[in-house]
Amino acid sequence: MLNVTKHTAALAYVIVVVLAVIANAQSKPAAGQIPRTADGKPDFSGFWDNPKEPGSRGPATTFNKEKMAPFVPGGEALFYEPRTGDPRHDEPRAFCMPSGFPSAFLGPYPVQIIQTPQYLVMQTEFMNVTRIIPLDGRPHKTDIEPTFYGEPVGHWDGDTLVIEGRNYKRWSLDDYYYQNPKEYRMHTEALRTTERLRRADADTISYEFTVDDPKIFTKPWSVQWEMKRHAEWAKTGLYEMVCNENNRCEGGKCRDSK
Amino acid sequence: MRIRLAALTLGLLAGTAPFLLAHHSFSAEYDSNQPVKVTGVVTKVEWQNPHIWFFVDVKDAQGKVTNWGFSGGPPGVLQRRGISRDALKTGDSVVVEGFRARDGSNNASGGKVTFADGRSVFTASNEDRAPQ
Repeated sequence: MLNVTKHTAALAYVIVVVLAVIANAQSKPAAGQIPRTADGKPDFSGFWDNPKEPGSRGPATTFNKEKMAPFVPGGEALFYEPRTGDPRHDEPRAFCMPSGFPSAFLGPYPVQIIQTPQYLVMQTEFMNVTRIIPLDGRPHKTDIEPTFYGEPVGHWDGDTLVIEGRNYKRWSLDDYYYQNPKEYRMHTEALRTTERLRRADADTISYEFTVDDPKIFTKPWSVQWEMKRHAEWAKTGLYEMVCNENNRCEGGKCRDSK
Repeated sequence: MRIRLAALTLGLLAGTAPFLLAHHSFSAEYDSNQPVKVTGVVTKVEWQNPHIWFFVDVKDAQGKVTNWGFSGGPPGVLQRRGISRDALKTGDSVVVEGFRARDGSNNASGGKVTFADGRSVFTASNEDRAPQ
């Protein structure tokens, strides 16, 4: 009888310990398993594949029409600005003009992120474009010329890094692989972008991208992407890509090879 | 001896993925309605950004030789896949398939390169980067 009691007590103890371990594991936040910086923020540093839709084997994010908000009156004409037949207008990137944001960061090229307490730096191999994003939530400037890559400012919302972009020049609003050149898509200077980055796990950044261009769309719309970690790319780092080095068929006119 | 042709992908602009890796719209420079397939000998390789170029002497039935230029992937992208500048050499016999330049010149995207001797240096697939 005593033995039975002893066994029961031992069994109960084991069960309690096991349950405690399970409970502890479950109460441990998933976010606790991601790398963190010394100041406790999620650490986005590393080499990442370009943003893609979750599970996609494709190259790039796509701004699918069905995910966009309806157009305001006149918005469609601004979005699909008619092509003129002049390649400098119709595809300025073929002349090594900047892709702008977000287009430059959506092609099938690695992105390196370097994070400090003050800044997040996103560098894409594609055309060596760098975004230096202050993380102090400072107000956007009101007196600067709009630019191809805009003015990104970050702040933390818990474990989510929120990057608000303003001051964009009117330019391409493309996923990298727009299929129909007659439907080249553009945004206006009213564009505001919001990126919400979260480390979903050790190898994944969950990346929500919101487009708000009130001159084109009736309301903001968002797409959900992922960026996957590629630790092996650290061995070589990013390669150099220089558009003007040998852009032989610039704008559709090929240079003689001789 | 039976020579087996190995179809090897240079890593861009092939088949269903005509916009692959171009630094702008493929259709700004190439015409997907004008497929090109030539057999010839590599005369020059320019392993440079933003796309590598290689040139091929093509002899027609009358013996007239035309030099064609073909664009490939960016050097960095190829290098990351283990494809070095030595992959294509002057004097190599190749079959190249692609799409002709819009300006009607003897230039094209060089989406698919096939060597006569079965070498497989260009087998790095680009399917994982194909558009949806």
